[in-house]
Amino acid sequence: MITRLGRDRRRAVGRMAVRRLLLAVPVLVLTSVVVFGLAAASPFDPLVGYLGDRYLTAGAAEQQQLRDTLGLDDPWYEQYLRWAGSLLSGDLGTSRSYGQPVADVLAERLPWTVLLAGTALVLAVATALMLGVWTAWRQGGVADRVVTAVAHALEGVPPFVVALAAIGIFALGLSWLPVAGLTDAGAAVSVGQVSRHLILPAGVLAVSQLPWLLLHVRQSLIAAFGEDHVVGARARGLPARTVVLRHALPTALLPFVTLVGTRLPELVTGAILVESVFSWPGVAAAVVRSAMQVDFPLLAALTLLAAVVVLLGSLLADVVYTVLDPRVAADG
Amino acid sequence: MNRVLAGTAAASLFFLAACGESTDDGGTDTSGYELVLADSYEPDNLNPIAGHGEDGSSKIYDGLLRLAQHDDLPVLEPALATELPEVNGDATEWTVRLRDDVTFHNGATFGADDVVATFEAILDPAYASPLTSSYDMVDRVEKVDDHTVRFHLDYPHVPFDTRLLLGIVPATALGEPAPVEESSLNTEPMGAGPYRLVEWRRGERMVLEAYEDYWGGQPEVTRLTIVSASDDNVRAQRMRSGEFDGAWLPPKLAAPFSAAADGTTVVANPSADWRGVTMPAGNPVTGDPDIRQALNLAVDREAMISTVLAGHGVPAYTLIPEVFGDYHDPDAVFGYDPERAQRLLDDAGWVQGDDGTRVKDGQRAEFTVMYFPEDTLRRDLGQAFVSDARSIGIEVTLEAVDRPEFRPRIPADAGVLGGGDFPFDPDPQVYTALHSRFADHDEANPFLNPTGFRDDAVDAALDLGRRSLDDDERVGAYREIQRRLVEDPPYVMLVFLDHTYVIRDADAWANIQPIIEPHAHGVSWGPWWNLRDWERRDGE
Amino acid sequence: MAEVRTKERTGDPGGVGFGGWFDAGRVWTRARGSRRRARLTARQRLFVGIAVLAGLVVYAVLVPIIAGLDERLVDLAAAGSAPSLEHPFGTDQAGRDLFVRTAAGLRVSLLIAGLCAVISTVLGVAVGAVAGAVGGWVDRIVMRLVDTVNAVPHLLLGIVIVALYRGSVVAIVASIALTHWAPVARLIRSEVLSLRQREFVDAAISGGASRRWVIRRHFLPAVIPQAVLAAVLLLPHAVWHESALSFLGLGLPPHRASLGTLLDEARESLLLGSWWTLVFPSLMLVVATLAVAACGAAWRDHVLPRRRAEEWA
Repeated sequence: MITRLGRDRRRAVGRMAVRRLLLAVPVLVLTSVVVFGLAAASPFDPLVGYLGDRYLTAGAAEQQQLRDTLGLDDPWYEQYLRWAGSLLSGDLGTSRSYGQPVADVLAERLPWTVLLAGTALVLAVATALMLGVWTAWRQGGVADRVVTAVAHALEGVPPFVVALAAIGIFALGLSWLPVAGLTDAGAAVSVGQVSRHLILPAGVLAVSQLPWLLLHVRQSLIAAFGEDHVVGARARGLPARTVVLRHALPTALLPFVTLVGTRLPELVTGAILVESVFSWPGVAAAVVRSAMQVDFPLLAALTLLAAVVVLLGSLLADVVYTVLDPRVAADG
Repeated sequence: MNRVLAGTAAASLFFLAACGESTDDGGTDTSGYELVLADSYEPDNLNPIAGHGEDGSSKIYDGLLRLAQHDDLPVLEPALATELPEVNGDATEWTVRLRDDVTFHNGATFGADDVVATFEAILDPAYASPLTSSYDMVDRVEKVDDHTVRFHLDYPHVPFDTRLLLGIVPATALGEPAPVEESSLNTEPMGAGPYRLVEWRRGERMVLEAYEDYWGGQPEVTRLTIVSASDDNVRAQRMRSGEFDGAWLPPKLAAPFSAAADGTTVVANPSADWRGVTMPAGNPVTGDPDIRQALNLAVDREAMISTVLAGHGVPAYTLIPEVFGDYHDPDAVFGYDPERAQRLLDDAGWVQGDDGTRVKDGQRAEFTVMYFPEDTLRRDLGQAFVSDARSIGIEVTLEAVDRPEFRPRIPADAGVLGGGDFPFDPDPQVYTALHSRFADHDEANPFLNPTGFRDDAVDAALDLGRRSLDDDERVGAYREIQRRLVEDPPYVMLVFLDHTYVIRDADAWANIQPIIEPHAHGVSWGPWWNLRDWERRDGE
Repeated sequence: MAEVRTKERTGDPGGVGFGGWFDAGRVWTRARGSRRRARLTARQRLFVGIAVLAGLVVYAVLVPIIAGLDERLVDLAAAGSAPSLEHPFGTDQAGRDLFVRTAAGLRVSLLIAGLCAVISTVLGVAVGAVAGAVGGWVDRIVMRLVDTVNAVPHLLLGIVIVALYRGSVVAIVASIALTHWAPVARLIRSEVLSLRQREFVDAAISGGASRRWVIRRHFLPAVIPQAVLAAVLLLPHAVWHESALSFLGLGLPPHRASLGTLLDEARESLLLGSWWTLVFPSLMLVVATLAVAACGAAWRDHVLPRRRAEEWA
């Protein structure tokens, strides 16, 4: 009986995932159309992006020839279809700001962003759970007030300010940690090097995400403490540890999972700022550089990539939620 | 705060543990010495045909001549040539004898064919070299024998020797004529210079190694890593944290290092690198001679130098700096005298209006000054200029303008510009900036004579300076130009920059010399311009 | 439906995005225990928030006027002075008084942010109301569009827009406004949907009430407070975005004062030791954000329920 229910449930989750993935397709198409439309409507001449400083020294004939080769005079939907076609066949175009194919830029830089954002997320979630449980249990205590107050204050501080403060204190003031980069200048990429250089940016990114997660855990836990089964457990005189970990936390964790999923866009935003300040060689810093130089192929690829990450993140969160919580119908 | 940062603190403990093992002693290798330098700017390519090292700053290529410093003035000395070129009476034929003991990094022997091929590639339209216009005086390059070449010029050109700093490429590496953007030399250079390229990770770093068979002897610094760190603040912070042996830094960020007790010193090299505000003739306000004169009297150049440049610069009044020696006219200056500027405008009919801005014949004394948004130095100078102009009733609006939009606006709007690409002779410093031949706006070369300046006397002096082989005659010509520039200034020249560098453990090396630098700066210049000659001091 | 569920679970009325500040306010309130006390503190917090915000606005508007100084003018002789009686916030590297310049920066930032908040709210209300009221395929398309805008991180989409329409204030405003209307649209849509399902509206319509009357009597009172709240909550987010763009060098031109450009300039203070150039603009940014967030949270916890209660009384 139980196993059959489980199988139905799995199937239902699978159906939900497939349906959500199918829904993601129009969203991604729309995203690319929006980005393309913005580019088409912009007063910016793509040839400037293509030629850089050579734009004005190139003669009119050379410019026209390039225009024809690149098909820049075609209507924007034709250009879009051409771009989408080569995208589907795996060709992302060439990035001018990095002087190499977009696919190579992504392959080189994406792992570092995943490392940075992943570390930051794990750090933030772990800290949020620990502090959240503690402050919720000691609700109203001194520690609770201090932590909540600091969390609220941190909500108002943009990641770049946190980053500057962190560099000022830990890198320049105390000289504990390196200022920026993936490794020391000239040093080879090694585990020791990278992990030393990872601490500050990952820490800053984690701190920038922490308040929301922490306050959320705390709030759901406080709510959970009021629920019947928790009140009952407490009344039965179960140890605090058991009440929190066995009864309250599971209920509180469910919405938390979804929250982590929906925080992904903010994580990407934070990564853009943190990677820029710390010269971290990831894709988020590439966003700023490609924007500065209006490197459209790379910019479009990065936008699409971010959309995929956000959609996958929220799907994953929902799947986890559905799997964990038997009360939720999977066809939602 | 402590609580929230608990994770970070724990992580830093981990770091402290990790730190003990990695006390690496970078650079005391028995086989030679290594330097790690940081630069703001990464070259687009390493191909002389595409413009790399035109000013003789390449570490990978050697030219026929190279720079040296003599009595505080830059001089040219033979490099791949055996002696300085032999020039005929009217400076139209330049004969150069070549060394016979030079090999390129691939082992090929250097000879006259390589010189001819290099210069012909620049002149050949099929390569579309950006340098073609800089060499338009060259009619043809003749191979006299295997170790002699002769340049035939279309017209007399006395400073032609400065054009021989260009790096020489092996003839075999040039391949079939094709646009230079597609050349493999751009990323896989092949020179005969003191260093060869080992690794280039674009946007990150470039690693060079000393060439064992360098004709001048293998340099003692055997490995040179140039890290690309475009953000000035990040570069300064990493320099402070001890990561780099040296870096180019803007003066303000370099200044704190002079007081630091961490083995770093600040090196400031003088330059012909000017910053000034153009006064386009096509604009009714900036085209007015009285406005130009008044602004030149009203800008407080000393204040700009002491704050914006943290003391690292000298005032600029004309395009010719003091470092040109006799060519510089010490009397061609503007005193800082805002009162006189006010009187001058009053007398000229520019009457102060109710809002403090002057008006003449219905024309308000207002104009726009453009600057490149990423250039904080030009922004700061522009802001100071705006304030000084306001003090005499001229309303200036600062505007950040990107290059593609900047260039077509040059004839109509003022801009903070810079220059001084070739500080080894006054001709390249002034000729294209002032000659009326370039006064009409040329879309392809908008920075030539950007103010649309026309003056017959200046034209004549420019041509004389270019033609005459007589030093006294040249000195007279360039001083005449400076006198004219003070009477009718087409620019409000502000400063000549000292280029500032921070270097660690400079005492450990002998032969570190100053040099007069061009507009370009970076770790190819600074104390490292003659890295090939550095010698480790004993006892280190 | 999946979106609505997500919203309910996280307690984030805006869906993805600026809900955090919203939640924060509630957590704060709940932390104080009883409902009664919470209501009192909510009112107090609203007052404090409004007072602080008013103070900031007065500072931003009046100081540059009273100082009678053009904030663009430099005074090289006074460059890099530490805070003193003459210059309470010190001066920057060009000798401009930071008390005045921060005020000017705050004014620019608030102005841009306010404009953005109003535009996105109007856009969001219009789109959300249409989607909710018309329903059907219009609703479905609009919701996909909302998903799309939400799928791309706002700062990233903002950077794309600013990059393609470089350097103008219009581009900055557009880049923020066009990325922030989606949560408002979703909020208003669900409000309209729930309104449509309520019996009294049905009763009114079947009772022969005119469309205009229904809109005035039921629709506007329900939607306007939500819209105002949304606009208020968007404000700190927009300030934040403008400063992030300017900090990255993609926003306002570097010589114009805004909180972002001031902070970008202050980066060199880490080495030069001029801490005041970093501290005071940051402080303004944080205080402005928190004050607005406090107002918004208090407004929702305190004012909104009462208005609704009055509505039903």
